[in-house]
Amino acid sequence: MRLGGYEGNGDGAAEPLDGPRSSERLLNLALERFGVWLRSTVVCLCGALGVVSADVADIPLAVSLLVPALLACGVRLYALRRPRLFPLALLWTLDAAVLVLTGLSQPVLGGDGGNVMVEAVVGISVVAFQYEWATRPVAGAALAASGAVVCVLGDVLSSPGHSPDLIPLVRMFVQVTLSRAAYLIVRALARAADRSAAARAAARREADAAAARRATEREYLATLHDTASATLLMVSQGDGRDWSWLPPRARQDLEALSAVPGFETGSIDLAALLGCVPEGEGKARVQLKTRVDGPLAIPSGPGLAIFNGVREAVTNVARHAGVREAELRAWTEGDGVVVELSDAGRGFDPESVPARRRGISGSIIGRMHAVGGSACVTSHPGTGTRVQWRWHGGARASQAGDGAHMTGVPRPPRAQPQHTAVVRFIRGQLLYGAQLAVLLISLVWQFAISLRRLMVHQDVYRPAWAQTAAFVCLAAVAVTGGAYLLRGRQIPPRVRGWSLGSVLAVSAVCAFTLPPEQSTGPADWAFGVVGWHALFLLADLRVRVYAAFLGAHMGLNATAVFLSGAPTAAESAVMGISTISACGFQLSVGVLMTYLLHGTAPAAGTAAAQEEELRTRERIHEDMQRDHKERYRALTATTVPLLVGLGHGVLSPHDEEVRLRCGVEAARMRRLFAESDAVSDPLLNELRACVEVVEHQGVTVSLAVRGRPGEVPVEVRRELVDPVAVILGRTRSTARVTVVWTPRAVRVSVVSEDCADGRGTEEAAQAHDRATDAKVTVARTTRGGSVWVEADWRRPAASGVDLT
Amino acid sequence: MSDNAPVSVVVVDDHPAILSGVEAWYAASRRPITVVAAGDSVREAWTEPGSTADVVVLDLQLGEGGPAFGSLRRLVDAGRQVVVYSMRDDEKTALSCLDLGAATYLTKSEGRDHLVEATLAAADERPYMPPALAGALGTNTRADRPQLSLREENVLIEWFQSESKELVAQRLGISVRTVNSYLDRVRIKYANVGRPARTKASLVARAIQDGLVDVDDL
Repeated sequence: MRLGGYEGNGDGAAEPLDGPRSSERLLNLALERFGVWLRSTVVCLCGALGVVSADVADIPLAVSLLVPALLACGVRLYALRRPRLFPLALLWTLDAAVLVLTGLSQPVLGGDGGNVMVEAVVGISVVAFQYEWATRPVAGAALAASGAVVCVLGDVLSSPGHSPDLIPLVRMFVQVTLSRAAYLIVRALARAADRSAAARAAARREADAAAARRATEREYLATLHDTASATLLMVSQGDGRDWSWLPPRARQDLEALSAVPGFETGSIDLAALLGCVPEGEGKARVQLKTRVDGPLAIPSGPGLAIFNGVREAVTNVARHAGVREAELRAWTEGDGVVVELSDAGRGFDPESVPARRRGISGSIIGRMHAVGGSACVTSHPGTGTRVQWRWHGGARASQAGDGAHMTGVPRPPRAQPQHTAVVRFIRGQLLYGAQLAVLLISLVWQFAISLRRLMVHQDVYRPAWAQTAAFVCLAAVAVTGGAYLLRGRQIPPRVRGWSLGSVLAVSAVCAFTLPPEQSTGPADWAFGVVGWHALFLLADLRVRVYAAFLGAHMGLNATAVFLSGAPTAAESAVMGISTISACGFQLSVGVLMTYLLHGTAPAAGTAAAQEEELRTRERIHEDMQRDHKERYRALTATTVPLLVGLGHGVLSPHDEEVRLRCGVEAARMRRLFAESDAVSDPLLNELRACVEVVEHQGVTVSLAVRGRPGEVPVEVRRELVDPVAVILGRTRSTARVTVVWTPRAVRVSVVSEDCADGRGTEEAAQAHDRATDAKVTVARTTRGGSVWVEADWRRPAASGVDLT
Repeated sequence: MSDNAPVSVVVVDDHPAILSGVEAWYAASRRPITVVAAGDSVREAWTEPGSTADVVVLDLQLGEGGPAFGSLRRLVDAGRQVVVYSMRDDEKTALSCLDLGAATYLTKSEGRDHLVEATLAAADERPYMPPALAGALGTNTRADRPQLSLREENVLIEWFQSESKELVAQRLGISVRTVNSYLDRVRIKYANVGRPARTKASLVARAIQDGLVDVDDL
């Protein structure tokens, strides 16, 4: 029997992440295949045997009933390959039709052969339906009920007058219930495996995500340190030197910063950037009439794209338009921004611009498209030129960002050992579930079905005590094995050897103390049950071993039958059908278990690993997005405009105000670098980082701490330290920085005796306040040249009084 | 002691540069302060002419040993007014010295701005609160500390932060005089819960007499 390969896994991996997880999903898939193949094979084989054992006259009618049943099975098999091709209702109807057609053939075929055949087909089909419809128990139960009805109808039609035999119905009910119970046991363990794997994966995911965050953080800080920080520090440190290197350096720094993923998430004031558009010099100078309704806060990615595009367009005016002035306007439109540069120059025909000229297509239009905005150039010869940039906030742009990000997200390390550990774990759970299920079947079968048969047919056996002893021996095997399994232990090899020997001995004893004509019949209680006992003993071995056992078992019975003379063809057919329905079914379950352990478990492990990787990447992606937003929020509002100004000559390093701003930004960056240091008092460490920058510039700073240091979250530290960075950055000679820890509050204060005035001190001290919830209050007092700024954070009530 | 009477001081410090600095600051004082003895050992305070000086300025860190808490205790027990003048800028040491009965506690970085005033206050048995000590008292969480009002605590901390009573007064919208009275009141509260000593008793008595604190407050 072939149970199909991995065709289904493709769909499985693409399933959404919620719903049943990998082991359970693949278990259901494997069981559905098993159910359909088992039933189809049984219908095919038993149908053939039934037809063989029937009268020649009945064959055409029987064939005309059984062939459509086979066709229905074929359709169902095809549906396995194309899961969504047929509606479920149709499949259910086909399944029911197989039952009805087979049942109808019972009166047609007639005789023992017909009865046994139909009983076998219906009996196995109703069991198979429980697996085929495992995820829809009501459908399975309805099919089982219709199977029972078919059986009764078949009996009534084939031998009118007789009241229907209840015993096969009871047996069928027991079998269906057992099948369902077996499924539930295995599924419960598969779910447990999934849950446990998910829990372990979640822990690993945290670690992976944290590692990835640290890695990007390091990369980001390194970039910042080598670029913007170094440049700003140099500007802040001195006047009177040759600054010709500065503009290209500042532009390079901006590009390096833009290349760090997540840069575009920070917000920037476009109005400030547009104020920095260079007008050109000498002959190439274009006088810009700028009318901008500021501030225009947009993400820095589109902001810089617009800025660079406008710069290019202004040089185009100088080069091509033949006029010396242009108008630059910017305004908000909905949730977006429109920037327009227009001139009254000679204009041109956009269609006729050669493709190799990249000014418009690359610098203006392409750049805007890359960040999720648009730009268009409207011009006609003789009517001037108008260039418009549009950027609309929200969904589109962030999607563009996301797409670009997904590829940049570092992949979590794929660990093969973890994968095999998961597979081993899933396999162990499935094996345990299967063993428990088979043990349950063995016990119920032995004490429900076999025990009744043994009692009823006591007079048939020769001698009867041998059969009774065999029954007890078999029960002992089941109980011993059960005792090991229920304690969660594997059956030791010695015990397994002895148990198998006992089971074979039971098989032999029962075969040879039974009249041969009764073999496999109702009196043969052992024939159908010993296979189950052997199955739970051999569950973890390859199916070949179990097949060999079944072969020995059937060989013993065949030997017993043949020793007393060859049976007739009809008898052989009946025995054949019984053998198929018993041993064949057991063998198929053995095959199924092998498939579950060696096919489904690895597939489930792989699927789990894939899901896990996906989740981890999503998680890392989310974390990084958040981190980046957090980081760039402050930076893009302050550093980027400075670098743009320095890069395009609008801000001069000779200007003291510019140098002071650079000093403030340099101190802020040092604080940022210190943020990731592993120290016991990070707040003090970050303050020291700022202090060191200004001490390097010749400022005397006294730093004093009072109280017992405690925990301060990083975002609070940022707000506490930032005013210090701002004030220190503008201090010319002396400052005092203090940290006071009281049980109720953390108070960071800076007093500068000679703070350079400027828009910086007041505005920058508040910059962070606007960005986050005002958990930190900032108070400011000035007196003469002295500025005193204090940032105060109310601590959560948890920190108690120091009793030492 | 009347408010313009000359004050005699013995300075115990093992660093010659500090000694000459201290003498220079005292020389610039508007009220005469005479250093009658100076040396690197606490013996100077027990022998003539140091034994009769109004105020002892004591460096806590003499030689290689630990903080000279024992010497401080003995001087206080003998009824001397001791200004502790230390390199150590930590609240634990400051609180310990106050407990032992020092008139006040100054860090060396505060010397230029506060030593003269602290010495005069000690000579007059008036309280004096330099910023470093204010910070220590403002963040004191020990169980035996006196109960301070929220305002008193705030004034202590802001005086520590800004080192400028004018800035504190401006921020809190009060006068410099009021700032001073808050600081003095805290010092008295500490003196009241401290180790019994003659200096403490006189500090508290003088404060009540000046109307700085109410008997009920203590």
